[in-house]
Amino acid sequence: MGCEDVRRVIYFFLDGSLNDAKLREISRHLDDCPDCGMRARIQKRLRQFIRRRLTPVAAPERFKVRLSRSLRALSYEL
Amino acid sequence: MKSAVANDHEQGWDFEKAAMPYVDSLYNTAYRMTRNSEDAEDLVQETYLKAYKYYDKFEEGTNFKAWLFKIMKNTFINNYRKKKLTPHKIDFSEIEESYERVIQKNAPDLIKDPESEIFQDMMDADVKRALDSLPHDYKMVVLLADIEGFSYKEIAEILDCPVGTVMSRLYRGRKMLERTLLDYARKYGYIRGGAEPAKMRSRKDDLKGRKKKDEGAEEVEVREPDENEEEILFKEEEDFEFEVADEEDEEFAIE
Ligand SMILES: [Zn+2]
Repeated sequence: MGCEDVRRVIYFFLDGSLNDAKLREISRHLDDCPDCGMRARIQKRLRQFIRRRLTPVAAPERFKVRLSRSLRALSYEL
Repeated sequence: MKSAVANDHEQGWDFEKAAMPYVDSLYNTAYRMTRNSEDAEDLVQETYLKAYKYYDKFEEGTNFKAWLFKIMKNTFINNYRKKKLTPHKIDFSEIEESYERVIQKNAPDLIKDPESEIFQDMMDADVKRALDSLPHDYKMVVLLADIEGFSYKEIAEILDCPVGTVMSRLYRGRKMLERTLLDYARKYGYIRGGAEPAKMRSRKDDLKGRKKKDEGAEEVEVREPDENEEEILFKEEEDFEFEVADEEDEEFAIE
């Protein structure tokens, strides 16, 4: 696997969704290749950043109440 | 003996108990899809009413949350997408090139202090805007994978597409998102960047520019991105088709 190949799968590597053989191969490459290693670190940090910043928007309470009410109404109606 | 009405009743309560815990997740995704709270509420409401109606079709033991998301996605497409969204044509070679450039230029700043958060001053609004700027299909996979934590396989089920397509969209979507964020970071001075805007230069300029890079760094070859190479790359994995994700929308399971 060359650098170009490794870079294409870094995301999936970070997701932990590659098979073991590929995982080992890439870990080894990242240890040996400073450039790819650096990219992996940057991508990891960006991901953490994105995840942290995109805090979920909770559904408004009054909406939840309304929703529960319509579900209950529906169960009587049918 | 219970009457039919009482049974419906129980089913109603049962459904409510099962489904309400996911309302925040669904709402969050709905909000990102529709970009406003009113439409998000309508979408979630419609999703729940539909899910209630088809509750008996839900297979016990399968992922209920994914099932709800799938209904929501279908509802969304039926309601909104047809009227206003045409498929985006994206020039991926541009995205990848400019991403490469940003990474190369800013790498030292981006990693110099692993403990500090270089983007910490960046506004949440910037991140949200970056996410909003993604084409719908890409935004969806990023949301489902990175925010909701679904597996590739679950996402494939929700979106009715092959796992390979999920991965391809995820790869592109994240790359676009990161590129946009790096652009923001540079624009607002969080990371050092040349005076030049994040606009594309020609490939020829790019080649020239890279020659100047420090000796030790590995030379990255600039080449035409090859759509087929993903296919080759992933061919060992089962399921991987890794098609390019511009296909039109599939049949819907619900309805
Ligand atoms: Zn490398």
